[in-house]
Amino acid sequence: MIETRDLWKTYEMGAEKVHALRGVSISIDKGEYVAIMGPSGSGKSTLMNLIGCLDTPTQGEYYLNSRKVSQMNDDELAAIRNREIGFVFQTFNLLPRATALHNVELPLIYNGTTGQDRRAKAMQALEKVDLGDRVTHKPSELSGGQRQRVAMARALVNDPSLLLADEPTGNLDSKTSIEIMKLIDELHRQGNTIIIVTHERDIARHAHRILSILDGQIAEDLTVPESQRNGVH
Amino acid sequence: MVVFSLFRIAVSALRAHRLRSGLTLLGVIIGVTSVMTIISALEGMAGAIEEDLARLGPSTFVVRHIIFITSDEMFWEKIKRKPIDYKAVELIENGCELCEKVCPRAYQSVTAKYRDQSLRDVFVTGATANYVDIVDFEVEQGRFHSFEDDLYRRPVVFIGDLVRETFFEGVDPIGREIKLGTNKYTVIGVAKKRGSMFGESQDDFVIIPLSAFSRQFGFPRRGLSIVVKAPTVEDLDEAMDQVRIILRAQRHVPYDKPDDFDMVTAESMLDLLNSLTKIFRLGLVGISSISVVVGGIVVMNIMMVSVTERTREIGIRKSVGAKRRHVLIQFMFEALMLTLSGGLLGIILGFLIAKSLVGMLDMQITPSALAIIAGLTISTGTGLVFGIYPALKAARMDPIKALSYE
Repeated sequence: MIETRDLWKTYEMGAEKVHALRGVSISIDKGEYVAIMGPSGSGKSTLMNLIGCLDTPTQGEYYLNSRKVSQMNDDELAAIRNREIGFVFQTFNLLPRATALHNVELPLIYNGTTGQDRRAKAMQALEKVDLGDRVTHKPSELSGGQRQRVAMARALVNDPSLLLADEPTGNLDSKTSIEIMKLIDELHRQGNTIIIVTHERDIARHAHRILSILDGQIAEDLTVPESQRNGVH
Repeated sequence: MVVFSLFRIAVSALRAHRLRSGLTLLGVIIGVTSVMTIISALEGMAGAIEEDLARLGPSTFVVRHIIFITSDEMFWEKIKRKPIDYKAVELIENGCELCEKVCPRAYQSVTAKYRDQSLRDVFVTGATANYVDIVDFEVEQGRFHSFEDDLYRRPVVFIGDLVRETFFEGVDPIGREIKLGTNKYTVIGVAKKRGSMFGESQDDFVIIPLSAFSRQFGFPRRGLSIVVKAPTVEDLDEAMDQVRIILRAQRHVPYDKPDDFDMVTAESMLDLLNSLTKIFRLGLVGISSISVVVGGIVVMNIMMVSVTERTREIGIRKSVGAKRRHVLIQFMFEALMLTLSGGLLGIILGFLIAKSLVGMLDMQITPSALAIIAGLTISTGTGLVFGIYPALKAARMDPIKALSYE
């Protein structure tokens, strides 16, 4: 489902060129549960941005569902993000003034889903993350875990082919983290393809496969044996 | 429709910042209001003048030794001119075949009296009986003086509404005697109320037979002015030429010298007036437009602040699939809603102000399509011009940078 060939990302800092990615080639199948690990500055965020179609590589090719996205323009990428990718961010990234329901409706607005249909889909997604009774609450009226679940409902509302979570538990306490990871595990069990970017080994061990990245290159591609996995599968 | 959803997003964004939106609105309102006031007032004045000139029909022209002066040199040249005399009237009556009606007029200001009441600076016109056929007077009561009244120098008077109101409130004026200066005149008719222009009542006039006028005042100091009516509008130029030839001959104007008298039609008078007030009007509109620009800058400034402040929101929207145009439209809607609602309020306010201003001058003013269209165009234009840059800035944001903006 995801296929990258020799991805390079180079930033120019004045006269100096910084290579954030140096030829990353990975392949992830539908239904996989993958963690991307690495220390800060390793290039894992850059890789996540590329996989999430928020950015395009300087060099190399990226195929998502057999479509070449590496050379798409802004608007084409926006359409891909809308249909194919659900984001979950460390800082939740919810609209502070909007209700949970409106936040979840957001991706539907941009693909033209309207009225009752939009509302029904958003409600359904919120019920999926157990927040059916919090739809009219604003983010400030919700706990951290609840906020992240709203974000997950938003990520899932368009039935994306990929759920991309960037440090999803980074801003949560350990108890809530476990709760959120349980939900992610559950989503995987239901057949979603999931990529988690993290620097915590505990979190990464929920995944079935761990890609370690160091200095802009894949250092290790590890399948986690069932016995060593965290969480219930 | 995505557009409809974007509109709703824009509305709720504006509502979330009520004070800010209100203050921004104020900038636009002030701008549009000032433009509206000026345009409405100017239009009202032009309308009043036009209406007044329209009383002289389209096939009518006026001849006098001086009618208009537009410069100092003109003043010094024209001040030397001889007034038009009765002989000229006779020559035109006999020599101009395309002059259907020839009506000489003379003017004087006097104090009018009725019993113990008096009215100062009443404008006395001495005119021949055909004056009423040429100039569009509406007779409210009684009649205008007749050919015989003029022939026999009868002391009769046709009065304006202000004179009637002053002397004869609640009394039938017909048959009563008023004093104009030293002489007594019998009221035979009342004109319909004309209202006022530039704060001057237009109803403080009286009209008497020209013969009676010359008996009382002698030959008018300010000369005669002749109103001439051609049979049709097509004959107007030809008739003016005939009069010109007659007067040049009478006044011995050498062939290579310009006319030493003025001739105007209602239309040329209007043109002259328009050209004279053009710069004045352009200046007024120009000055008031500055406030629109200021209003626009306020909108732009607020939109820039808003875009910067909502960088993260823009990032979020983009990450879930908002395209450039979605973001652009959302912010344009916000700018346009600010300027358009400001514009609408400005139009209403401007109209009300113009109405009260002009009301003080006692002129008629109606909401003009031009003013409304101008107001809407200006406010929409302001929104588009000053809203596009902030909206483009928002639309072009890099989602990654926008998401990590603190």
